[in-house]
Amino acid sequence: MKRKQMVLLISIVSASLIATTISCKKKSDSDSSTSTYASTDCSSLSGVAKIVCLANNFLSTLSSAQQSQVVIALTLANAKRWSNLPCGLSCRNGILFSALTDAQKAAALALIQVASGTVSNEGYEEFQTIRAADDYLGLSNSGYSSGNYVIAFLGTPGTTGKWMLQFGGHHYAQNITYNNSVVTSITPLHEAVEPNGSFTVNGTTYTSPLATELAAMRDMLSTCTSSELSSAKISGTFSDCLMVPGSTTNTFPSTKQGIKVSSLSSAAQTKVMTAIAAWVNDVDPTTAASYLTTYQNELANTYVCYAANSSGTSGSASSFFTTNTDYVRIDGPSVWIEFVCQNGVVISNQIHYHTVMRDHNRDYIGL
Amino acid sequence: MHIPLLNNSRSRSIWRLLFLPFLFWLPGQLAAHPSPNTLIFLDVSPKKVMMEVQIPIPELELAFKPGLSKEPEKLLERWEPQLREYLLAHIHAYNQKSRPWGITIEKLSLSHGKYPDSNISYQEVTAWVNLLPQTGDDTRNFYLDYDVIMHQVINHAALVSVRSDWENGGMEQNKEEVQAITWDLQNNIIPPMQVNLQKGNWWTGFVSMVKLGMHHISVGTDHLMFLLVLLLPATLRVNKGKWDGFGGTRNSLFGLLKIVTAFTIGHSVTLLLGAIGWVKLPTQPIEILIAFSILVSAVHALRPLFPGKEMFIAAGFGLVHGLAFASILTNLHLDAGSTALSILGFNMGIELMQLFVVAITVPWLIILSKKTIYTPVRITGAIFASLAAIVWIIQRI
Repeated sequence: MKRKQMVLLISIVSASLIATTISCKKKSDSDSSTSTYASTDCSSLSGVAKIVCLANNFLSTLSSAQQSQVVIALTLANAKRWSNLPCGLSCRNGILFSALTDAQKAAALALIQVASGTVSNEGYEEFQTIRAADDYLGLSNSGYSSGNYVIAFLGTPGTTGKWMLQFGGHHYAQNITYNNSVVTSITPLHEAVEPNGSFTVNGTTYTSPLATELAAMRDMLSTCTSSELSSAKISGTFSDCLMVPGSTTNTFPSTKQGIKVSSLSSAAQTKVMTAIAAWVNDVDPTTAASYLTTYQNELANTYVCYAANSSGTSGSASSFFTTNTDYVRIDGPSVWIEFVCQNGVVISNQIHYHTVMRDHNRDYIGL
Repeated sequence: MHIPLLNNSRSRSIWRLLFLPFLFWLPGQLAAHPSPNTLIFLDVSPKKVMMEVQIPIPELELAFKPGLSKEPEKLLERWEPQLREYLLAHIHAYNQKSRPWGITIEKLSLSHGKYPDSNISYQEVTAWVNLLPQTGDDTRNFYLDYDVIMHQVINHAALVSVRSDWENGGMEQNKEEVQAITWDLQNNIIPPMQVNLQKGNWWTGFVSMVKLGMHHISVGTDHLMFLLVLLLPATLRVNKGKWDGFGGTRNSLFGLLKIVTAFTIGHSVTLLLGAIGWVKLPTQPIEILIAFSILVSAVHALRPLFPGKEMFIAAGFGLVHGLAFASILTNLHLDAGSTALSILGFNMGIELMQLFVVAITVPWLIILSKKTIYTPVRITGAIFASLAAIVWIIQRI
């Protein structure tokens, strides 16, 4: 009897030891494997299929630890985790560019390039120039760097099911939601830049990445007549966009302010669409076209308002957006765009631009 | 409106460290404008609420006077009366709207805030505001009707947190939720913020002060070390200018009692005077003196400097230590009634902790000091304390 108990005990102990060994081995096996994602040739694909293919290619370059950093749960809390501050990963999801090897970074950028489109000075080019602008700020103030940008997938990229692509950093935040191969949301989108105007860093001179947006907003307001401008003007001061991330004021105003686009001249109405396009064109061309159609259909019920711009004069584009707190907003049934001049933070003697695009109906869609 | 404050620079920077990361994980995400927000800290006691308001000048200039940030250091020199008037016009508090509380501005001063994360600084003006309730009104449940800057700057927000809540025992870094005062864009108003604290009472407040006192001694290495080092040779007798053997149990106990009592009397006197506000000394010299007191008693433990007169040294340096205790209490900005109870409670906490330390060390001192091994123990302890004291003195100068 006693002997039997001993044998039983010994066998139980050895069984557990073996089990533990095997499970540990299994764990370390999966730790060392690079991935369950395979690298494939995406060049024959198009649309969301190509984006998914490139997303998987990027994942295939990562270690499994990196993969679990990049692929996180699709939740509202994660979706809202974007920022307009130089706070790196402490306020964002995913993995830092500075933690990627050249090959991994190239794979990430290949994905971003297709997802954000290739319109000149928009999309991918704009993203890269805004990153370069942070390198420029980094010359005078540590903490700003193109390496301080992130990429994350909320949910697993696929042509079926829902997932969200997030990429961004200090002055850029893109949140694109894909659902069964259709882009169901392209907002919130944050774009900003300091310094003002063109700048040179690492031997390359860049045009301001917000040149198109600035020109479009200036055109839109200066095309308005003096009386249209006075209807569009609102009181109050804006030292930043209202709908910035993490804002205390993160609720859309219930009342649209300013002037209704349907009451503007047709020339000015066209300029409103051009201004909207300066933001919408930051996604792949098929998706951009579809959103522009939606926003065009809602244009008549869209409003334009602006604040400050005390030097702004009808007919003079350059008289707008010259000073801290000069502000404009496009607020439609769906679209919401804000553009504001702020005093520089790093370069305090010049202004810089902060912008945000939101969508009343599609931000964080389904979450 | 009201303002809470912390004027001790050390506790202030600690508070900032705690507070800023705290903002980022709040539900509803309150932080994170590149344009800086106003920060409001409330110190709530039964008869008044102190409010420290840290107002970023780059935002203030948009609502109060343009161009302030060109020469922010001249703001108070040029505009103090107007700024006081402006603040009083935009700060209101009440239980019932028809019975507004008294609002007084105690002090305005200039300092620096920092943009979150980039650590680039901007100038701010800090206002210390008293909110004085109407008779019978509860300071634990009231409305703060505040629209400084926000009446003009639509995206501005004031982040309000209760820093200390006397009756609820939250005396240090209270982690009440941070609330934001800001535009409600749905309804196009800036709604008054309701401050509604959990019910507390005088007993909780008193007990919390006892705990604070105990905590202060147990983490206040310098106070503890002073006392221990002074006790180190207290059981010995002096022979030809050197420490000699054990002086007898009765003598030792009597000596220890005299030292501890003298220290207690010393620090109680200055704690009382300091907390009431009759004596005010800057923190730095006090901290240096405390380190110096350790050095002196450590040298005394090596070679008797003032044999038999330890109690006078203990009382004298006790006065100094009491001033440091007092600064803890004055930073809480309590009303008079709470202050009296606080002094009592805090002092009791200090005594309890002191008694505890004495109770566990004295038997060992008596036992060890009968043996020859005590000489190396005493010398090692004294040298260690001297080194620590010298490092503290250097750090604090």
